[in-house]
Amino acid sequence: MTVTTLAKPDYDVLNVLALKKMADATAIAAVTSMPASDVEGRLEGLAGQGLAVVAGGSALPTDEAEPALAATAAAVYAPVRADDDVLALVEKFETTNSQFLAAMSSWQQVEVGGRKVTNDHSDAAYDEKVITKIERLVGRLEALIDALAGHDARFATYSTRLATALEAVDAGDHDLVSSPTRDSVHNIWFEFHEDLLRTLGRERAE
Amino acid sequence: MSAPPAGTGRTWTRAFTDDGPADVDELGGKGSGLVRMTRDGLRVPPGYVITTGACHVYLDRHTLPDGLEDEVRRQLSSLETTTGKTFGAGPEPLLLSVRSGAPVSMPGMMDTVLNLGLSREAAVALAQRSGDARFMADLVARFHTMYSEIVLGALDDRPAVDALVTETDLGDDPGAVYDRVWAAAEAALDEELSASVPATPWEQLVHAVEAVFRSWNTRRAWTYREHHGIPHDMGTAVVVQSMVFGNLDDDSGSGVAFTRDPVTGEPGLYGEYLAHSQGEDVVAGVRTPDRVQEALPADLLAELERTGAELEARHGDVLDIEFTVEHGVLYFLQVRSAKRTPEAAVRIAADLLADGTASAARALTLVTADQLRQAQRPGFDPDALATARDEAQVLLTGIGACPGQVSGELVLDPDRARKRADAGASVVLGRSVTSPADLHGMIAAAGIVTATGGSTSHAAVVARALGTACVVGAADLEIDEAARTVRIGNRVLSEGDPVSLDGGSGELFAGALPTTTPAAANEAMDTLLAAAADAAGSEVLARVTLPADVEAACAAGATGLVTAIDDVLAASGDLNRLVETLLEKSLNGVGALSEMRDAVAEHFAPLLVAARAAEVRDVDVRAIDLLADESRELLQQTAVTTRHPELALPLGVPDLIRAQREGLVRAAGDAGYGGRLRLAVRHVSDPAEAQALAALDEGADAPAVGTYLTSPRAVLGAAELAAHSGVVWLEVRALQAAMFGIPARQFLTAEPLDSYLARGLLAVDPRHELDPVVVHLLRDVPADTGVRLSGTVADQVAATLYGLGFRRFAVDLPEVRPLLLGLGRAALAG
Repeated sequence: MTVTTLAKPDYDVLNVLALKKMADATAIAAVTSMPASDVEGRLEGLAGQGLAVVAGGSALPTDEAEPALAATAAAVYAPVRADDDVLALVEKFETTNSQFLAAMSSWQQVEVGGRKVTNDHSDAAYDEKVITKIERLVGRLEALIDALAGHDARFATYSTRLATALEAVDAGDHDLVSSPTRDSVHNIWFEFHEDLLRTLGRERAE
Repeated sequence: MSAPPAGTGRTWTRAFTDDGPADVDELGGKGSGLVRMTRDGLRVPPGYVITTGACHVYLDRHTLPDGLEDEVRRQLSSLETTTGKTFGAGPEPLLLSVRSGAPVSMPGMMDTVLNLGLSREAAVALAQRSGDARFMADLVARFHTMYSEIVLGALDDRPAVDALVTETDLGDDPGAVYDRVWAAAEAALDEELSASVPATPWEQLVHAVEAVFRSWNTRRAWTYREHHGIPHDMGTAVVVQSMVFGNLDDDSGSGVAFTRDPVTGEPGLYGEYLAHSQGEDVVAGVRTPDRVQEALPADLLAELERTGAELEARHGDVLDIEFTVEHGVLYFLQVRSAKRTPEAAVRIAADLLADGTASAARALTLVTADQLRQAQRPGFDPDALATARDEAQVLLTGIGACPGQVSGELVLDPDRARKRADAGASVVLGRSVTSPADLHGMIAAAGIVTATGGSTSHAAVVARALGTACVVGAADLEIDEAARTVRIGNRVLSEGDPVSLDGGSGELFAGALPTTTPAAANEAMDTLLAAAADAAGSEVLARVTLPADVEAACAAGATGLVTAIDDVLAASGDLNRLVETLLEKSLNGVGALSEMRDAVAEHFAPLLVAARAAEVRDVDVRAIDLLADESRELLQQTAVTTRHPELALPLGVPDLIRAQREGLVRAAGDAGYGGRLRLAVRHVSDPAEAQALAALDEGADAPAVGTYLTSPRAVLGAAELAAHSGVVWLEVRALQAAMFGIPARQFLTAEPLDSYLARGLLAVDPRHELDPVVVHLLRDVPADTGVRLSGTVADQVAATLYGLGFRRFAVDLPEVRPLLLGLGRAALAG
């Protein structure tokens, strides 16, 4: 079986689709900075290649999408994979990532007499401390995102999305810290992590 | 600007012991708290507050006010006199904590710098005084990290410095240790931020104070104030406090005590003490602490118990007390309301109510509706759980990442998990590793188990955000996606096999374990809810569909039941057949309607048997609603109303209502149910309709017939409708849907409304809040009208409805207890 490789804008669209699993053109356009009409056309094209299914306005990736993305990423991002500066920052990211996940956990749970219980968010001072830490950790992503954006400008959208989410958190929308159904800080980070792994051709460890 | 306390010569500062009001605006939240604790006779380490007035000047002129530095020096020497210690020098060095204290807690503000005052000389003296160079190394590292984090904006992870501290021995040369640790910490900071911490304690103190003032204007603090309408010129105070140490000798130590057990709620001082230690050792788990009862000298234990009891009585709540013993003297560092598990919250509130520590009004505020929901969440039946463990049904034990005990069929793929969940199955999703593309499956699942990851993996974070039971790091889980099987040790399970998951203990069991509500939780809940019900004086009916629901409804405190013809028929599996009959047959004579009557009679009898057994005497039934937006597909509305257009109106076919009522009469007779039984029809809005309904009445034995108010027209005419109706319910969700013009089915799910609200397009979330326009309409509704609420009921909704005078409610079964609590609280407030 031959694996399809993709032209660059098609890769971007399918990449987002694979990250989100199910999305419409507007949602994909929002994170790729492409016009929705352009995205729609490309989704049609991807459907024609058997890489996506479009139904009722929403698209889904097919089983062939992952191999195509992997093959394309190997070709398109070869320079990224050989960039020592990026690789050094990725090394650091591993640490930042575990710190970030630990901070997310302390947002969700507090320790009571040795037992973890759901954070009921009644202690504003505690919550704010965690948000401060999360914000600083997001700040630590900047260098890596910048380095990646030097190779492919699309990575910069992660910075914008994270900034938007954090701004909303500061304005009191605390749901945007870790909500799995909105463009929350954790969701964006999670997608970035997955995208990074695909870009580098690495497997997720956990 | 605030006037200084008379006779102190102080303009910008206030010692904890100074006279004058404990004014939050001037001293900030923390500062006024410490002043109050000192006044209450608690032995608090001495200190002082730099007032918000100084902050105003600093923010205005970008420099500290004239005379502040002199005052700080005078306060320092006064602290030195009181404590017998010296700032920045031996033999016993005075160390300080510096904290921000705004009148309102807000994000982005500077937090705390501890151990300020560690010049080289002071550090060496401290090591000599305690005979422990490692303790000193630890303090120096902690100070440097905190100062860097708080004043300079660094992160708090310093593995290299921590390693250096760990390597230090008790007896190492103090001077060399200080130099080594300080140099390593400076190197870490330089690498991270190209910054440096000033070497002299005085400079550190002044910079820390300025950093507190500056933090008032961080972007985050500013955003927060903008959003919450807090004035930007309020300013913050600074709390400077002497530190006490628990590791100076064997007569010193530190600990944490709760006035009751925060896990179970059991009465009695619950705490830990570690002699010859500093508080962080307890928190960091470096050494295992002892129970206060065994470890504290008797006189200190007595003092702690007495003070704890006094404080608990004064606050009417369980407290968390942080304390240190220095040279045999007990100091109180912090006293605050204790965090607790949901089970403990219920037990504590019930106990404080029973022993008179808290009034009913106070006790009801000690439990949130969410805590109550969690505490009543059913868990595995204890006997079944024990048997499962004995019979080796435990497949594996991973890391419990989000508590909850659930059973379901094992599914190994997120797409199929969602499909099975959509079809009504309870699903446990098993994955090797989760990626963002798995989210839809995780959302659909009742439980999640992954082979990889720790308690802070993405899967764990997502599961907790969803509140879904989750086990991660189940390394024994070997998934074969192609074969749709999973191998665990030498056992092989196939997709679809029933499993049970305990997200607390991390266990995965073969088979489906039965669940029950914990008996212990029930007893405390009953005590508390009896008080709530007493105060509320309201009837709360539970929505039930199955006979098994009836006992649970009564256990939760429901005074009656509501149910619906379509719900009961759907649960019996008979609804599809009836809808098909409606499509095929005519509505006359022995056609579809007699089948409807027979089905109602058959399927309501078991429910009414259960009601009789549970001594329920109040059952209200909603007639089938062929227009209900939320059951459009289920009832094949388009097809049915095309075949029989008259069914699209509430009284289009009066015989349909008669058929249901006759069915109910027969069911009640068969079941021997003798309580009140009534039938209400949705979408009625005209007095003539209500009269027509009343005219269907066929004698005293037959259930009274009435209406469900669902439209603004009905609500505005409620009084007149009520005059002709045997029963009136007001259905809040339907009314809100009508007012917003949004189909009611959109109120059942998170999306699309979540995103829509997030865009700021609606001022009110119609699922969880009452629209002001609706509240306005409700003013003229007769107060004896029943209010039917759907889904989770927010406290505010309960309070508003109670305030409007309503005293009869119906809710979904799991919401009976939270609503009783909310009504009780509303009744006792103010």
